Amino acid sequence: MKINAGIAAAFMLTAGGIAQAQPAAAPAPSWQQGMTSDQATSTLHPLAGIVTGRPASELPLNKLKVPAGFKVEVFADGIPDARSLAIGDKGTVFVGNRNQSNVYAITNNGGKREVKVILKGLNSPNGVLFHKGTLFIAEPTRILRYDGIESNLDSPPAPKVVIDGLPQQPGHFWKTMAMGPDGKIYFNIGSPGNIVLPGYIQASISRVDPNTGKFEVMATGVRNSVGMDFDPRSKKLWFSSNARDWLGDEGPADILSMVKYKGEEHGYPYCHQGNMADPIYGKLRSCKEFSPPVYKLGPHVAPLGMRFYTGSMFPAEYKNNVFLAQHGSWNRTVKHGYNVIRVVVDPKGQVVKAEPFLEGFLTDEKADPPMWGRPVDVQQMKDGSLLVSDDYNGVVYRVSYSK
Amino acid sequence: MSVRLQSYPQAGGRKTAAGARALAAVFAFALFTVAAPRAALAAGDIKVGEQKAQVCAACHGAAGNSANPMYPILSGHPAQFIATALFEFREGKRKNALMSPMAAKLTNADLNDLAAYFSAQPAPPPLRQATAPNVAAGRDLTVKNACIACHGAKLLGQQQMPRLAGQFQDYLRVQLTAFKDGTRGDMDGTMSSAAQGLSPQDIDVLADYLSGLPTQ
Repeated sequence: MKINAGIAAAFMLTAGGIAQAQPAAAPAPSWQQGMTSDQATSTLHPLAGIVTGRPASELPLNKLKVPAGFKVEVFADGIPDARSLAIGDKGTVFVGNRNQSNVYAITNNGGKREVKVILKGLNSPNGVLFHKGTLFIAEPTRILRYDGIESNLDSPPAPKVVIDGLPQQPGHFWKTMAMGPDGKIYFNIGSPGNIVLPGYIQASISRVDPNTGKFEVMATGVRNSVGMDFDPRSKKLWFSSNARDWLGDEGPADILSMVKYKGEEHGYPYCHQGNMADPIYGKLRSCKEFSPPVYKLGPHVAPLGMRFYTGSMFPAEYKNNVFLAQHGSWNRTVKHGYNVIRVVVDPKGQVVKAEPFLEGFLTDEKADPPMWGRPVDVQQMKDGSLLVSDDYNGVVYRVSYSK
Repeated sequence: MSVRLQSYPQAGGRKTAAGARALAAVFAFALFTVAAPRAALAAGDIKVGEQKAQVCAACHGAAGNSANPMYPILSGHPAQFIATALFEFREGKRKNALMSPMAAKLTNADLNDLAAYFSAQPAPPPLRQATAPNVAAGRDLTVKNACIACHGAKLLGQQQMPRLAGQFQDYLRVQLTAFKDGTRGDMDGTMSSAAQGLSPQDIDVLADYLSGLPTQ
């Protein structure tokens, strides 16, 4: 009788992986990994958005604050789980999400703003990216391309596959993309849990050539980057990344950092924030072996989408600043984040300062839930105004400036 | 438990009589089939929900208090959980031969109205008592597996997480087993992964323990 080689190989792999314990203890849920026994009665838990979204009329918009001269308004509602944002050549705003199956577009139909579903039946289409007429969509295990879609929003073309076969994994399965100056798509492959030894292409920032499908790992030890953009001056890739949970309220810090060269190692799971050895994996490798982050944003702020500002609507001092959306804490007894910050980055790649830009989502730092909205991504419109997505409410806001 | 309801909607369209609301719901559904509607009011309407829930009673009983362990008790859950569960059925993320077709045509407004209604119905006292050895063992399992982190210290549910206390023993066993087997749909994988650490014996203990917990 012929033995199924695939099953046999899988069995051997499984048996090898758990050699020291029979029967195998099942792994902890990805969000629970790293929880210690004295945290067993913790009431901290991940937060989920309102699946139907909430209309602008139900939101306490008067609580939102922006600097003097700026204005924030709801650009569109009715986009459940609104996350990544991309802007088409004709001004269409594409919106991805983490837990749904549709991709949405916000269009301008003769002066009337409309929200419509343009793609259906996808799997967690979190990543959206628009480049030269093509919309790229990142699902957990593949990246698709829809050429010429902006002229055919009501009957989109069949997609072509850019890359397939990325890890089907628990934990950080959702993808975020940025287009490089080299025409390649940079994207995250998150760690498959809170604190685990990742597989060889996991906890990475990788890139794929959309024309050839060639894949390369660019940086490792990045636990989960949900925001990245290229500095228009240095052409270097900057990224935000979320640090591990269950080490307390005060650490480790979530980070803002940069990929300086191919193959650069950023520390996870051995070392956090450049100088904090992990209690489990820190004995295996030293923090000295890894690139430290450019900037420590703070513990459990959950930095997600980020963009360098290149527009001309905002005052001149905002040019080349980073806008960064912070989703806010769950694994912290005193919650913070839930805002968009402005990070001033000098041309050499140093952070000069970081300060709140859009805030007011946090209602009570000790309540559950502590906020009424959660910023996810930022995207610059052609007029220089800034869009901000909110996956808790399924809303996109617009921040504009006038003297 | 405290009922987690948001304030009544203030927008003009929701101040109409119930009959007009039903019409509005039909119209909203028609819109949804061609394009995404404007966001439905997330703070659903209990009265409208009560009307929409009449069809649910055939299986889930009056006021969501099912008498058949095949069908879960719906009363006294957090509103966000009810809306999320209906959403998962509608979107095909959770599948059930009976429930999927029922949810397929629901609008977002339906989800929120039904959620408002069922969350406002008081949960009945537990239908049974757990066997003595499983009380301590069950409590230990809910700590060890972090059930209490999401479902709350008294397992009464909160936000998108259901009330487990007082649910049918058989229903709990079937659902936990399905999570463990990976056959029960799950928004983000949290419950599927949480169930991986449970043995069949653990599931029996938990189903016994949780079904006997006080519901207030």
